[in-house]
Amino acid sequence: MLLTLLVSTLLAVAAPADTLTDYYTVETIPTPEGLIVETGGIAFMPDGRLVACFHRGEVMMYNPKTRKWSLFAEGLHDPLGVLPVSNNEVLVIQRPELTRIKDVNGDGVADRYETVTDQFGMSGNYHEFAFGPVKDAKGNLYFSLNTASNGAGIREEIRGQYDSLGRQGRMYACVPYRGWVMQLSPDGKLTPWASGFRSPNGIGFDAKGRLMVTDNQGDWLGTSKLYVVEKGKFYGHPASLVWREGFPDIDPLTLTPEQLDSMRTREVVAFPHQRMAHSPTQMVADLTGGKFGPYAGQLFVGEMDFPRLVRVMFDEVDGELQGACVPFMDKVGLRPGNNRLVFAPDGSLWVGQNDHGWVGARGLQRIVYQQGIPLDVMAMHLTATGFDLTFSQPLDEAAARQLANYAFRRFYYKYHRAYGSPEMDSQPVPVTEVKLSADKRTVSLALSELKKGYVYELTLGKLRSADGKKKVANQLVCYTLNRLKSSATATVHTKP
Amino acid sequence: MLSTFYVIRSFWLWLPLFTEPAAAKLPVCQGATAVYADTTIVIRALAGLQYEQTRIVVKPKTRFRIVLENADDMSHNLVVTRPNSRMKVVEAALKMGTEGARKNYVPNLPEVLANIPLLEPDHTDTLTLTLDEGAYPFVCTYPGHGYVMYGVIHATREPKRLPSVEADPYVPKRTGAGDHSAHQMASPHPYKMTFPALYRTFMPECGPAAIAVGLPADAAVGQQSYCWDAGSCRLRYVWTGGFVDSYGHWEGNGNRLTKVVGDIYYNDRSGFPFRIGNTTPVPQFRGYELVNRYPKFMYSLGGIQVTELIKAVPGKRGLVRQFTLSAGKQPVTFLLDQQEGVQYQTRINNVVASAKNGRLLLPAGTRQFTVTMLVP
Repeated sequence: MLLTLLVSTLLAVAAPADTLTDYYTVETIPTPEGLIVETGGIAFMPDGRLVACFHRGEVMMYNPKTRKWSLFAEGLHDPLGVLPVSNNEVLVIQRPELTRIKDVNGDGVADRYETVTDQFGMSGNYHEFAFGPVKDAKGNLYFSLNTASNGAGIREEIRGQYDSLGRQGRMYACVPYRGWVMQLSPDGKLTPWASGFRSPNGIGFDAKGRLMVTDNQGDWLGTSKLYVVEKGKFYGHPASLVWREGFPDIDPLTLTPEQLDSMRTREVVAFPHQRMAHSPTQMVADLTGGKFGPYAGQLFVGEMDFPRLVRVMFDEVDGELQGACVPFMDKVGLRPGNNRLVFAPDGSLWVGQNDHGWVGARGLQRIVYQQGIPLDVMAMHLTATGFDLTFSQPLDEAAARQLANYAFRRFYYKYHRAYGSPEMDSQPVPVTEVKLSADKRTVSLALSELKKGYVYELTLGKLRSADGKKKVANQLVCYTLNRLKSSATATVHTKP
Repeated sequence: MLSTFYVIRSFWLWLPLFTEPAAAKLPVCQGATAVYADTTIVIRALAGLQYEQTRIVVKPKTRFRIVLENADDMSHNLVVTRPNSRMKVVEAALKMGTEGARKNYVPNLPEVLANIPLLEPDHTDTLTLTLDEGAYPFVCTYPGHGYVMYGVIHATREPKRLPSVEADPYVPKRTGAGDHSAHQMASPHPYKMTFPALYRTFMPECGPAAIAVGLPADAAVGQQSYCWDAGSCRLRYVWTGGFVDSYGHWEGNGNRLTKVVGDIYYNDRSGFPFRIGNTTPVPQFRGYELVNRYPKFMYSLGGIQVTELIKAVPGKRGLVRQFTLSAGKQPVTFLLDQQEGVQYQTRINNVVASAKNGRLLLPAGTRQFTVTMLVP
């Protein structure tokens, strides 16, 4: 008895040793021999089979019950997204078009490939990928079109109208709607929806049905980003502007960065380069209602270059969305190359991987929630003087009250023509006060300064749960502060 | 300058690219062993996380210059390391965190011998270096790149004793690079290739929305394949001797085109073949259905819906093109591409009908016609 007591006392003071693998496991799904598993799209059919499309043009079905793969369609040109329509019909986006693929005779293999729309240009440049489609509650489809890369030229024969004004710059849009998100209504009307994208290899919705797109660090993108996409808006990469109705006949690159800056809509969340992501991919909202653990309603974003996903927590400030990102499943068995994400009916998160000549990996994995609640940041809200951080579990009071456990740094990324951006004006921001809520789950941090237009990077120290058994699962949180609380503007600290 | 030239006669013989006099910038074939006649070596960073040159051979204790040209659309550096130190340097660069970008992801290690800092796309920079005998890796230490983007500088007096490029452990292995003949033996898919087979891909001499179709082989003429343009909705060219090699296109970013395997025997030069009344309609591609794996292309010409199904002529070099038309009020004309050596047989509604001056007149209400094209 005494011994047990001693041991348990020892355990209680020892550092918590839980890891994320206590709560989540990663399984690798076997794939057929001979399949180059560069995953372009994954989704679940109404009957529970996984449908997946791959770089060499295959569309395959996987039955998780029988663990058998079968071929559904073939011969597609770099399919990068799939959306089931029924158990024998899917929509697939490939380089030249959005295609409806059907098994009409019911033998399990597609026999009809209908062009849903090909009303966008192709210069033949290798970088003109097409991503999507995703469907909103009203039945509208959305897809996104990559710009071309001056790593290569264009073909002698192209499809669509050519505009030399869009041919300038590192990533270019010399044929229609490159760098755009397109909307296709249920009655077949195709509308150029929003412009200013560079490499929008991630299109989807958050839990509230808001259309979102990720874009990749590069020219005009100091770092990778998550946007809320709304009709008619311009998101910052200039090449696509030549296809905007009413845009003057000029090379958009002749506009100054200041002019372009005033035209653009900023990201809701920046993914700090290297620290958080290199190449964000598809996003998926956790609508599993708890089957996937404590993150219901949050957004998960794939990442190509690092063996992790990124989790996004939104914050609404005076009606405008902004928010924070946190690594998820970092270095716990997930491969890099996490290009496509989908929740299975059982609440597990399936991840299709890709490398495609870049950093990454090939294959298919799934993340399965086991049990318990990791100690993790569940929400980050801007306040008048700093941030409120809400955790999944009550915190150990002594650790939670230590200022040293919250190290803030802020910086911004330059909006300019050059590739990427250094972290500009990087400064540590001292925390002046910490308060812990009565339920010990929320810490309110006051910062010496809050400035809009900056990323606030928070590195958490050795926080642990009140029972001492859990350490904080991820120590890095990055908040994109586009807007201060209006109630705070009067009292906001200015730079001395 | 001449004293630094390093010329080995035998190498010149089996490197036919090096037939021009030593120039400041020498062309090098990808992955090949390059023996430089000058002290300047140009290395290009290419799309797909690769250096165009992956093996450089220099003379020990001789100063040489490396020029890095960044022809990719992302940033790259080039770090020359001590022998067997590539991964150590790569891992150290990864751990540099936020200071990495400021220091060009070049870690402060004795294993780093020289470096060209991080170059934005289209930028060029150089380094000069003298090496003792040994195999010195060069690598891009931008996080993530170093696992695949590297090469080696062999400083050796005995280049003949180097292993072949394929067997060189310091040279990255790119699947599919080089040995394409082996690939064609096996299917590139998780199933056996069955013909007819169709690929939507980038084909030469076609619009970017190209379709390649391989037909079943025939004992008399072998395999026939064709390229059909889904942008302009028409047959582009036909070949015998095989189907296609897509490995080059599949590898990397897809910049390289799929290759025709075999010999093109017919290339359409007449453009879009349909006329409605006197006008050339603008076709709209609508997809295809598979009939015993043969694609039946669907496209519309204004209000008229067309299908086109193409088969090989049994035992002969040529194609049978079967068309159907939806009901239309106007006569339609199908123009036969008049080329020397191309013979046509045409049928309308299954009855032999001859073309006049290369024009096959399809009376209003024609629902079906066939054009057999023979190129003996």
